[in-house]
Amino acid sequence: MNAPDRYERFVVPEGVKKVSYERDTKIINAATFTIEREEHTIGNILRMQLHRDENVLFAGYKLPHPLQYKILLRIQTTSQSSPMQAYNQAINDLDKELDHLKNQFEGELAKHLRNL
Amino acid sequence: MEGVSYQRFPRIKIREVKDDYMKFELRDTDASIANALRRVMIAEVPTIAIDLVEIEVNSSVLNDEFISHRLGLIPLTSERAMSMRFSRDCDACDGDGQCEYCSVEFYLRVKCLSDQTLDVTSKDLLSSDHTVVPVDYSDASSGFDNSTNKGIIIVKLRRGQELRLRAIARKGIAKDHAKWSPAATVTFMYEPDIYINEDMMETLTLEEKRELVDSSPTKVFGIDPENKVIVVDAEAYTYDDEVLKKCEAMGKPGLIEIHAKEDSFIFTVETTGAVKASQLVLNAIEVLKQKLDAVRLSDDTVEADDQFGELGAHMRGG
Repeated sequence: MNAPDRYERFVVPEGVKKVSYERDTKIINAATFTIEREEHTIGNILRMQLHRDENVLFAGYKLPHPLQYKILLRIQTTSQSSPMQAYNQAINDLDKELDHLKNQFEGELAKHLRNL
Repeated sequence: MEGVSYQRFPRIKIREVKDDYMKFELRDTDASIANALRRVMIAEVPTIAIDLVEIEVNSSVLNDEFISHRLGLIPLTSERAMSMRFSRDCDACDGDGQCEYCSVEFYLRVKCLSDQTLDVTSKDLLSSDHTVVPVDYSDASSGFDNSTNKGIIIVKLRRGQELRLRAIARKGIAKDHAKWSPAATVTFMYEPDIYINEDMMETLTLEEKRELVDSSPTKVFGIDPENKVIVVDAEAYTYDDEVLKKCEAMGKPGLIEIHAKEDSFIFTVETTGAVKASQLVLNAIEVLKQKLDAVRLSDDTVEADDQFGELGAHMRGG
């Protein structure tokens, strides 16, 4: 009866930012990114990609509640980098990886279909 | 953007492709990417499905909402879905979702006039767009018996009963409602790495070897003509640990070691027929890319932080 609309899970409401950024008040080079209307799909690949970055000291995400349609991604880096830089780098790397994956798949598919 | 790249270069090997089924290997990446692809294929690749039904006449035994629900679940060919608009962000029709850019119209008009029961099926649905029609399973590539194929039964009518309706199909994703899922099943497994300690295996009698081979519930191991235990089908292993327990029980721990390779995945993709299996994977990669793009930081966020950064540096006396 008072269930939220289904689209609430993936449509960002007007006036709400998709990604907001908040620096940690106590720890230098640490910040929390709040990503609206995303869940494990994005949270986990970002986290794992950030773990590959040597300058990232900590990267973790959480889905605070199943009915709060957002994830919190927390990053702490060394002074060589910054959470924002690490975050952008992770997205760029993942994006390139997916580009590569797409080309690989298309190539292999064409090869496979030729050999039939 | 400065900084070193930590990009990976995954490899793919396709094993089998059919229209609604495919199997492939994904290597040199981690479980997060494999799982993200799986999740996107199941719940976020768009398809087209009936979303609104206006019933004119329904004297069948099923009530209106029951029939509407059944109509929604019929898979429609959705090659167009990726380039179509969602009704909610369609400008042409102001979001009422009834224009050609974001919807497809269907009509169903059936009346039973004979004494024999009339099956109303997905083939009775008349589409306004020839690219969006109920999926036809009569193509024999899938293998099951199609000799009596009549489409998906919606309702059965007896003499005098009638069903007349108009339906609107829209683009959607399965996160909204499962009827929009293009995937029947998408699974991946870790490729097992099986090591047999040959020296230790030599100390076993043939009888013991047979027992060991038979201890696995799936046929992973076999015995070759030289009475050596060999791996017949590594992928049949279900990570049940039964052979390992057997080794322990025989007092030979370490006789067989099995590890899951953490960067190799074997994917199985089955679709509902709404899109081809190979296309589903490509669409999933595309959707994932779009999602990543959407979570990039906006310029004003960066700007706000730069000011804060200067202020911070100033306060710290820098």
